[in-house]
Amino acid sequence: MAVSLWGWPERIARSPLVRALLASAILTLTMFILLPVVPAIAGQASTGKLLFYPCTDCHPVTVDEVTGKPSHPIPIDFKGHGIVLEGHDVLGKDEAACLTCHDDSEHNPGLLRAVDGTRIDVKTGDIARLCQKCHFEKYNQFKQGTHGKHLASCVAAGCHDPHTPQYIYVGPLAPFLGTGFQIKAVGQEREPFRPIMPPPLPPATVTPLWYQIVAGVGLFLVLVIVVGLVRPAVVERLKR
Amino acid sequence: MTMTEATTSQPGIKRFIGMDWNIGALKSADRRYWSFVALLGILITLGVMAWILVMTKGGTVMAQRDGFTWGIWFANYMFYVGLAAGGLVVYASVHLFGAEQFRPLARLAVLMAGCLTMIAVLGDLTDLVRVWRIYWFALTPNLSAIFVYTGSAAGIYMVICFVDLWILITGKGGEKLAYRMTLIALPLAIYLHTTTAFVLALNKSRELWSTAVMVPIFLTSAVASGVALLLIVAYIMQRFHVLEFKPSMFRSLSTLLATVMIFDLFLLVAEIAFVYWPSSAKIGHTLRFSEFLTGPYAGIFLPVLILGGTAFALLSRRKTRHIPAVQVTASALYVVAIFFKRYTLMSMGFAIGTLGQPQAPYFPSLVEGLLALGLLALAVLFVTLAAKVLPLRVPEHEHGEEVGAPHAVASGDPALESGAAL
Repeated sequence: MAVSLWGWPERIARSPLVRALLASAILTLTMFILLPVVPAIAGQASTGKLLFYPCTDCHPVTVDEVTGKPSHPIPIDFKGHGIVLEGHDVLGKDEAACLTCHDDSEHNPGLLRAVDGTRIDVKTGDIARLCQKCHFEKYNQFKQGTHGKHLASCVAAGCHDPHTPQYIYVGPLAPFLGTGFQIKAVGQEREPFRPIMPPPLPPATVTPLWYQIVAGVGLFLVLVIVVGLVRPAVVERLKR
Repeated sequence: MTMTEATTSQPGIKRFIGMDWNIGALKSADRRYWSFVALLGILITLGVMAWILVMTKGGTVMAQRDGFTWGIWFANYMFYVGLAAGGLVVYASVHLFGAEQFRPLARLAVLMAGCLTMIAVLGDLTDLVRVWRIYWFALTPNLSAIFVYTGSAAGIYMVICFVDLWILITGKGGEKLAYRMTLIALPLAIYLHTTTAFVLALNKSRELWSTAVMVPIFLTSAVASGVALLLIVAYIMQRFHVLEFKPSMFRSLSTLLATVMIFDLFLLVAEIAFVYWPSSAKIGHTLRFSEFLTGPYAGIFLPVLILGGTAFALLSRRKTRHIPAVQVTASALYVVAIFFKRYTLMSMGFAIGTLGQPQAPYFPSLVEGLLALGLLALAVLFVTLAAKVLPLRVPEHEHGEEVGAPHAVASGDPALESGAAL
């Protein structure tokens, strides 16, 4: 019996079944090795992985007092994030779309603007609260456990790519790792949803300056009288 | 038990509308008294100026706007109308149910009820901005608007309270008239509190307001806070020798207070349980209520539970319930708790708008705040002056032991029927 280079009997090595099995095994092994490191292949917004984090490296929170511009300039060769929105293109064009969810670029885009006006950290915060802004009813279903809230990694951005939400990761991941295998699992047709408006600012009230002064003087007099009335009783009690 | 007509035998006492007005007492009042009156005068002046600003500058000086269409005035309206209930409870207890231990408190109770309803109505008027529009409100009322009923009921109730006070002081009409006035005042008070609760409960689009439990919870809160305030004021009056009460009266009052408190707290907890019960919870309700348990309004709602629970805990111990400090502390805690409750109640309808958008939490502007303080000072001034000028002390011979006297009227007691015993 002839012996092959690897020491296998030649007859067995030539068997089509064995070759097919071997090829499958090599292919599977390659996929297992490569899958965790390649970016998600379907959604064009797979750059959602934390490539740019922390955002304040390029989007400083401090503004130069003299120039009024950010104290750290954006890197010269930077060509933009290259994120293409699909589905969420309804949010607007260019920077306007980004600012729907992200804090403005002169501050910290790593913070997302929740509907109640608070900020959510893109890495550590509860991203689902951002989705609540528009997907109010979905959010409530999500909070009630429809989407398996007991799984540690199950957050809204763990399944949905936040920039192309029709694409979902095959397995739930921590948000923005962006390294999972994505499939387009949600149709293009949009479900009707009820957006929640952001909270309006408290109304600006007008109080004339003269009234502020009169009120200040009046309240000061009230305070003086109260102290004058209460003091004897307190002193008497302390003496006792 | 008899009720006597007033006399003008002492110097410094002027007789007006059948009552003895002790103007001389004001002249002999000490410096502390006038300092306190001056304090109230300053607050009233600031309040009047604030009201003028509201009338001349319009709603722009107020923080209540499109989202929060009602402000501190409405919270206070509910609060004051509720506090007035305490007076009625005592008044009705004496003249309808023969609770003689409360008789020394009757005049003070009715005076307070009248003053509190007065500032509730005045606060209501400030919301009109251009107050002269009340003319059209009276002339062409929208009969499907519940405010027509609660507003008019408050106005009538205020008048009835002052008439009641006049009857109690002058003794005109005797026990018989006092009894009949109670028969009018009691259903009117229930009507007033019910329609005030209906102002909220009939709003179908404001989810947390639209609940059938609103009326009973409103009534229990009203009675509890009213009795609590009455107890505090009675202690103050006793402290300054205006009135004297037996310890047994305070004990009865605090027992009544503890009983109503637990009903009130029970209804509140039952409402919360209903909102969050897993099988019946509605998303809109829970989302809105969570604003008050963990959201931006928690700071004003949680004190309702904490202060209310503490007040009840203080009064629940039989061994310590009779201690004045315990009674006053528990009462003060509960009055504050009910103020927070009214503020919360007002906010509950507006925290999230009818289209689902959250609103910025409401906080009264300087003008609104001083306007509210001014109105409160006005009521306190009325009571302060009345404490000196009016005979709030019930004469000893009227402290009768005939507990069933009012019922004797109903059964046709000839002495009471004719008023001969007065």
